[in-house]
Amino acid sequence: MEERFDIRLLEKSEISLTRSEGGVLQGVVSGKHYEELIVYRCFPFQYETAYISIRDAKDVELGIVRDIGELDPESAAELAGELQLRYFLPKVTRVDSVKSKSGLWLWELQTHLGPTRMAMRNLHEHIQYPGGSRIILTDMNGKRCEIADWQALDPHSRKQLEEIV
Amino acid sequence: MSIMDQLPEKFRKQLTSKLLLSCRTDLLLDGSFGEQWIVVTEDTIYIWERDDKPKKTWAVRELRGARISGGIGGGKLIIDTSKGPIVAARYTAALASMFGFAAKFIEALAKEEALPVISERDLPRYCPTCEHPLGEGTQVCQFCMNKGKAAARVLRYARPYKRQMATAAFLLILTTLIELVPPYLTKLIIDDVLQPKAAGSALLVFVLALGVTTVLMAVMQTVRGYIGIWVGSKLMGDIRSDIYGSLMRLSLAYFDRRQTSQFIGRVNSDAESMRQFLTDGVIYVTGELLRIIAICAIIFSLDWQLSLLALLPVPFMVIASVTIWPKVGRRLYQQWRSIFRLNTMVGESMQGIRVVKAFGRENEEMSRYDGANLEVVRNNIKTEGLWQFIFPAFQLIAGIGTLLIWYYGGGKVLGNEIQLGVLMALVAYLGMLFGPLQWVSQMINWASNAIAAAHRIFEIMDTPSEVPDAERPAAVGMIKGRVDFENVTYGYEKHHPVLKDVNLRVQAGEMIGLVGHSGAGKSTFINLLCRFYDTDEGSILIDGVPIRQISQLELRRQIGVVLQETFLFDGSIADNIAYSKPDANPEEIMRAAKIANAHDFIVRLPDGYDTRVGERGHKLSGGEKQRVAIARAIIHDPRILILDEATASVDTETERQIQEAISRLVQGRTTFAIAHRLSTLRNANRLVVLDRGKIVEVGTHEQLLEKQDGVYRKLVDAQQEMSQIRGVGV
Repeated sequence: MEERFDIRLLEKSEISLTRSEGGVLQGVVSGKHYEELIVYRCFPFQYETAYISIRDAKDVELGIVRDIGELDPESAAELAGELQLRYFLPKVTRVDSVKSKSGLWLWELQTHLGPTRMAMRNLHEHIQYPGGSRIILTDMNGKRCEIADWQALDPHSRKQLEEIV
Repeated sequence: MSIMDQLPEKFRKQLTSKLLLSCRTDLLLDGSFGEQWIVVTEDTIYIWERDDKPKKTWAVRELRGARISGGIGGGKLIIDTSKGPIVAARYTAALASMFGFAAKFIEALAKEEALPVISERDLPRYCPTCEHPLGEGTQVCQFCMNKGKAAARVLRYARPYKRQMATAAFLLILTTLIELVPPYLTKLIIDDVLQPKAAGSALLVFVLALGVTTVLMAVMQTVRGYIGIWVGSKLMGDIRSDIYGSLMRLSLAYFDRRQTSQFIGRVNSDAESMRQFLTDGVIYVTGELLRIIAICAIIFSLDWQLSLLALLPVPFMVIASVTIWPKVGRRLYQQWRSIFRLNTMVGESMQGIRVVKAFGRENEEMSRYDGANLEVVRNNIKTEGLWQFIFPAFQLIAGIGTLLIWYYGGGKVLGNEIQLGVLMALVAYLGMLFGPLQWVSQMINWASNAIAAAHRIFEIMDTPSEVPDAERPAAVGMIKGRVDFENVTYGYEKHHPVLKDVNLRVQAGEMIGLVGHSGAGKSTFINLLCRFYDTDEGSILIDGVPIRQISQLELRRQIGVVLQETFLFDGSIADNIAYSKPDANPEEIMRAAKIANAHDFIVRLPDGYDTRVGERGHKLSGGEKQRVAIARAIIHDPRILILDEATASVDTETERQIQEAISRLVQGRTTFAIAHRLSTLRNANRLVVLDRGKIVEVGTHEQLLEKQDGVYRKLVDAQQEMSQIRGVGV
């Protein structure tokens, strides 16, 4: 009974992850094979590569990986890749422009996954500051982008952001 | 056939059987931005990227089903085949609803069921013509629709006060013109009286004329000022009530996602900025504009060469204003946002002041506040500092014009080309001209403030209600109270359903107890019945009429709620009981209170039914509040009654009284009751057990207890265990 209410941390030997032919994350956890696994970041803002909840296709938690670095290299790579896919959060490499038009704020961005644009109805409800110079942008449709450190961007981008953040 | 995006011809010609569905993703399978096509035909599913050759294909007969797996900010479409699950497509959150439909479509195809038909809500939210995203709940694009600029909309508020505004404007024109007289009189005095040393009545006449203009100006300014205040206050009242009206119209979902304390500031301060623009701004700007024109005309007639010289700096001022304008707007918004964050923080900690005190976190709250406060100070300095720079800069530029006049004008006087009076008049007029030009910056301030405020206000006004009223509501009249849930699915965030495919038929007058763990979907069930939210799929019918077709006013008239959190408004107990029926007479109020077991305790209060309750009034206990709320529901006399945990957190005796009141209340009404204490549901005709958003068991208390492994049985057992520990009977 007690165990059910305890956080179960997975040891390196207990978990091995691979990707199926169909592109789905699968693996063996505590000796049992799962053909589909879902992964969650417990602290998406604070710890990107630590405290990862591993769940089966029915969303039941199998355990928590304390740090991706503790896993064997293949599992670690697969897990990191799956997190990248599941937490779709392109990192902004350049802010091309921020314009306010007809009551919408339009952002033209370059990200590490390619160029994109975002639209916001206002700024005060769509920009989060998780701490430091980090900025999370969320557009009207729920699409998100991250600026890891806006002070570290190029001068053009900083100029665009100066009056925004 | 269901086409969401027009499939390019080069792919279309490769198809061998009938096209059923084609859609375009905005991500590639490796998670980077790009386009990929997923195409469903009668026998095959294709995936194309940029190449002409399909990247992947699957035969439909291999399929077992399809589903979407939502991530954060995006998701993936998974096809289940006999060889295991396959990721078929990835997309950003913008396309979530479209792929939700695609998954359903492929699932139906795989299971050989009837193919679903696409509804408007599944379409991606982009404007088809300009590709800009569309707002929530609308298919009309902000960019393509000419809505008129914010300024024009603000001006519309002035329309009812046309006459007063016109009078004020007329007076303004007069004062402006009269203001121009004194320098001219000065010129006359110098040139015609002082210089020729012509004593006589002329001096007295000119001085008298000066006196009269001064008095006239004073009178007209007073009258105009009064009209300004009058129109301004009226306007502000109109704007405020409009904002409040829009707030009341918005659906519950809108407020769920926002902190409510922010709206207090919005209603008041944004309305004030708009008023300032309308009265001071509009009148001032037209007045000053007029003055500039008049002055220009006069000085040019006095000496056009000197005037041209003097006006040399003007273009620079105009250019400077135009470039500064957008910068100012953004800084003001930035400043507003930092104040907004500060206000929200205060609102939040005041609401949670008990928690703050209980955990002794006053210092932490203060340092949190200090952080936000610092931000406001920084932004204040930044924005206001801009003014401190603009002001002297404008003055400097204007000063150059005056210097030029003194130098060249002085030379002309010495050379006897013009008279001294003309020079004096020119200098005086120039002073008057540069005055308003300097104020251009102040006007920028006003106008940008007002436009920013207007944007925020119109944002509220333009937000469409997520539960729009039917255009032609069905007349239901006095309903009987039959309620049907048909395949109802709903999630506060789409694709994370809280209720899944719920079917329930409730007869008129029946009492239904809703049971389940917390988070099972009981409250959602009730929220949907009240139509605080609209179902994502399926429908709810009252007497066979879908509730979307019943006007909300009518619906709420038929539904009464007693909620867990009883909210009493500022006012007397009588007011609160008669909330839904303001014309109720004292007898009706007392009768309702009596049925609710509230009459006795109310009468015992020193102020009886006139006891003031609510925020600033008498504090009633939880049980007392509950009974007032029940009385409120009784006087409302609804056909459908909703009781949400009505007896939570009260002692046994109070509970008995409330129980008694409720049992009187439910008679003859269709009732839905939620309770954690299962004992409170013993009067229910049927119990509906919800688990993870699904109805798992339906039946009477006894029937459900007989199920050995039933969810209800487990709940009852668990409660019995708990109460044995506490030594209280269930």
